[in-house]
Amino acid sequence: MAADDTLSFATVRDLARMLRSGETTPTALVEHFAERLDSVGRRYNAVVTIMLDRARREAAQAEAELKAGYDRGPLHGIPYGAKDLLATVGAPTTWGAAPLRDQVFNTDATVIRRLRDAGAVLLAKLSMVELAGGLGYNQPNASLTGPGITPWNPEAWSGGSSSGSGSAVAAGAIPFAIGSETWGSIVTPSNFCGITGLRPTYGRVSRAGAMALSWTLDKLGPMCRTADDCGLVLDAIAGPDPDDPTTLPEPYRYAPEHDRTEGFRLGVLRDGLDDAQPEVRANFEQSLAVLSEFATLEEVTLPDFPYAEVARIILNAESAAAFEDLIESGAVAGLTAPEDRWGAYARTVIPAVDYLRALRVRRHIGVALDRLLARYDGVVCLTNAVVAAPLDMPLDAYFGKVRRLPVGAAGNVAGLPAISLPNGFGERGLPTAMQIVGRVGGENAILAVARAYQARTDWHTRRPEVG
Amino acid sequence: MPESNGSERHAAMARGLMDAVRARYGDRLSAEEEERVADELRRMVEAAEALRRVPLTNADEPDVLFRPYRGEG
Repeated sequence: MAADDTLSFATVRDLARMLRSGETTPTALVEHFAERLDSVGRRYNAVVTIMLDRARREAAQAEAELKAGYDRGPLHGIPYGAKDLLATVGAPTTWGAAPLRDQVFNTDATVIRRLRDAGAVLLAKLSMVELAGGLGYNQPNASLTGPGITPWNPEAWSGGSSSGSGSAVAAGAIPFAIGSETWGSIVTPSNFCGITGLRPTYGRVSRAGAMALSWTLDKLGPMCRTADDCGLVLDAIAGPDPDDPTTLPEPYRYAPEHDRTEGFRLGVLRDGLDDAQPEVRANFEQSLAVLSEFATLEEVTLPDFPYAEVARIILNAESAAAFEDLIESGAVAGLTAPEDRWGAYARTVIPAVDYLRALRVRRHIGVALDRLLARYDGVVCLTNAVVAAPLDMPLDAYFGKVRRLPVGAAGNVAGLPAISLPNGFGERGLPTAMQIVGRVGGENAILAVARAYQARTDWHTRRPEVG
Repeated sequence: MPESNGSERHAAMARGLMDAVRARYGDRLSAEEEERVADELRRMVEAAEALRRVPLTNADEPDVLFRPYRGEG
């Protein structure tokens, strides 16, 4: 049998091979990662619920199927964790919010069903910023499970809102996780935890059974150790779903064997670089040097639009409607972060015409960005201009004007896919990252670039000292 | 319009919206929280003003899809 520390930080691809070679079993993986979640995962406030009974049943089934020669594919028998905004039978779904700690659903979200169909084993509900951070939190401590902590530094934030998905994967407490992004919630914790996170195209992955924060901005996506693992997971969860009318009609297939490994054309966006921390800037320049070994690089700028303002008005108006019950009942008073207790009230009076104007401007943004991105396999830029904030500092005070880079608002408003890749370390030993933003439907192109980058670097293989 | 006039206008609009918030939820907000809500309203008014600077015509539809529903049968 494989040694324990070999399992903890193995990729999905490696675990799949080990399951088939007899080096481990689905049941052994469940027991191993349940222990890791309970010991290491909880240390970083990454865990809401460990679903041991359900996981043992699913693992036993996977084991029997694999033994019988019925192979559901690369995720078969591999445990994973889900951000606690995905409905699951057998555990509460808290949305990270203290007033909802006992909320239960009697069905599984589509993503959970699809992963079960692919043979993956649901082991844990992972922590998150309350209500996916949609009400304006300004401190790391904004969840019923306490502040998310990055395994790279016990005094630094994991990022949000998919906090537990980021820190559990980084700590070797789970092989992969599902996160969600409305405006930065996959790529930022991936950055601050030093893992690889993929925000798919809007509509690529069904949100049926997921908490709604903003109907026209929410996306679900994989958070893993490598770009290749992100592709494997996306392949299992993507595709049209009658229960989510916003899903794209085209099926998605991850087929890395058919992708290029060089000869890419990339735009380089220097957004936020002037205000970035020195190590973030240096690591980005170093990344460009690596990318230039297999891609041609060309400087680009974003078309001129009020991206952040469009994103803010859409998010604020839709979240006020999505959480109307919590707001009207006064239940928001029970949330953890003070800003979340009053932040929603201002949103209830946004004029409808302002919301509609944001949606009208959004169409122009989509057209302009597609024109830019059509020329490239992807546009490379910073994920964040700074490393993770200290746990005891207000987020605005630490991040200042670079809390949200324009490309984050632009990408989310236009529904563009993006992948965040670790590319080094900055102050306090914390990970830095770059992201590659793709055209709508361009996941395979940015995954191919990301794989080529990770084939030449080892940042994604670095492990925090977590024991 | 001079910037100071713009700021005054934004502040006046935010105050109007604050009256609506107060009418709905005033009993739930402390004086300090009311101040924070007012700040947030001013930021939202400014964001809406930024959107108004993007030229739009009557033909520019909101980017939201409405599908008329027809059940089975």
